[in-house]
Amino acid sequence: MLAGTMVGIAALVVIMAIGEATEKRVMKRVNNFGPRAMMVIPGGGRDFPPPDPNVTTLRPDDAEAIREQVDGLTIVSPLVREMAVTLRYESSQFQAAVFGVESNWHAAWGWEVREGGGVTEQDVATLSRVCVLGKTVKRELFGDKDPLQERLYVGKIGFTVKGVLEERGVSPGGGDMDARIIIPITTAMRRVFDVEHLSMIRILTEDSGLMSEQTRAIRSLIRERHHVRRPEEDDFRIVTPLSIAEMARGVSGTLSALLAALAGLSLVVGGIVLMNILLISVTERRREIGLRRAVGARRRDILLQFLVESLSVSLLGMFIGGLLGWGITQLLVRTTAMAASLSWEPFAMGAVLALLVGLLFGLQPARRAARLHPIEALR
Amino acid sequence: MIELKGIEKTYVNGDMRTPVLKDIWLRIEAGEYVAIMGTSGSGKTTLLNILGCLDSPTSGSYLINGTEVANLDDDELSHLRNRQIGFVFQLFNLLERVTLVDNVLLPLLYAETYPADAEQRAQEALCAVGLKDRLRYRPNELSGGQQQRVAIARALINNPALILADEPTGNLDTRSGTEILAILQRLHGEGRTILMVTHDRCVAEHADRILVLEDGRIVKERRVSHPLKTVAGVSGTAGRERID
Repeated sequence: MLAGTMVGIAALVVIMAIGEATEKRVMKRVNNFGPRAMMVIPGGGRDFPPPDPNVTTLRPDDAEAIREQVDGLTIVSPLVREMAVTLRYESSQFQAAVFGVESNWHAAWGWEVREGGGVTEQDVATLSRVCVLGKTVKRELFGDKDPLQERLYVGKIGFTVKGVLEERGVSPGGGDMDARIIIPITTAMRRVFDVEHLSMIRILTEDSGLMSEQTRAIRSLIRERHHVRRPEEDDFRIVTPLSIAEMARGVSGTLSALLAALAGLSLVVGGIVLMNILLISVTERRREIGLRRAVGARRRDILLQFLVESLSVSLLGMFIGGLLGWGITQLLVRTTAMAASLSWEPFAMGAVLALLVGLLFGLQPARRAARLHPIEALR
Repeated sequence: MIELKGIEKTYVNGDMRTPVLKDIWLRIEAGEYVAIMGTSGSGKTTLLNILGCLDSPTSGSYLINGTEVANLDDDELSHLRNRQIGFVFQLFNLLERVTLVDNVLLPLLYAETYPADAEQRAQEALCAVGLKDRLRYRPNELSGGQQQRVAIARALINNPALILADEPTGNLDTRSGTEILAILQRLHGEGRTILMVTHDRCVAEHADRILVLEDGRIVKERRVSHPLKTVAGVSGTAGRERID
């Protein structure tokens, strides 16, 4: 009869531990992405792998169209990107990513410079050959030396170092975000990489409540511009905080749902078993009940006695279940990649649930015991 | 101090009406030792249950120390049983998994306030019935006679006005039975009112007064001129030995 409560509480502890850790991770990723951000990425499909380099249909005038035709957007920032480009300074070289950006890139990503200046409108307009370094690039190529005004080569083209970006650290995917340089998008597209298509467009909305509407608007706009007709699939993706959250939740969501169902079922089944065992116990203890009544117990004394017994069993189950749940969570954390964090909440909730189960399923037997007529019981 | 006037008890089962007690009139003074005799089916157990406030009569009046029992609600009846009445059952009715001391102080758990000296009182009561050496035992470690003594100690713990014994020696051998009767006799000597139901003529002769029930009525009532005493002889001596 303990088993039901035990399993239920154990499952509860595990669910809540996983759930809490998952939510933390999800929050982290959403915040990392930007709660008011959307990204348009070339290549169809619903997941978030990197932009498909074979798809070249996303163009600067798509960004322009979005800027003009969709309401409520604060920033539309297109960019081009090339990974693993060799950068040279004097005798050193280092492979890093090169981003061709608009001047609003800093605002779009919330990424400012720490030294010197960032990419400006004028830089973009004049296709100037300036670059801003990520911290890792600075360290690898310049060491402790001040990089500003130095000459850095991207392929055959020389760039003047204009500034150094703030440190950003490791991306959710595990890459070094500081192993990059940014240059004006126009310079990138015409002078360095000779491309006419974009790698992605980063968009910020003024109100996250408008996001779903705006996503729809952007989608139909681009579909039209790219002449995508039903039933053809889109040749682009729009990533939103929602899709990030969904992806971050991943398997945990399903697991949690299963465990929740298990927990609920266990508690109910356990409760019913408890109730039946208590009912039988009441029948078997008739003489005892009759005796207690004969020496002066009132109905409510008997009721209380049996309720307390029911609660004790329940709480014992909760206690063991709590230990079991704690143990399983620790095991999960150590043997799988799943994150789980334990706080006092699941145990508190477990206590409340155990009390409720004990009260609810113990009430019927307790009332039956209390209503026994002393003589019936002593017969 | 106990008065039954026109007490009747009829069990109703659907259309069937079974009268068990018919027109009982009875008066018992404080300090009396009364035996109620009758064959099975005579209604003696029902009478005892009514006297013990475990059952209520279909009609009639039951006054205990001036209080009309019919006017009391369930809680008040429980209170009355707790303070005024001490039960001794044929099958002892002790709690098996609990020590003797805890068995004896059970009525105190249901008193209005749990007395601070409860354990001490229970120990004293057990000593008074000669079980000083077995305080921490459990009922299943005792003989029948010893268990009945525990039951008597329990019946006495709240200092009740009335002791009700239902076939107290019915489950005991002759020797243990005599010990129990000796204790009851001692209690009577201390001024307690004792009401005993028995089918055994010999046992009944230990009381001052015998009532005979037949078919739900008191058919005979007599005073016992020379109640049997259990002081002399083997059983008497053995009883004395154990009592402090």
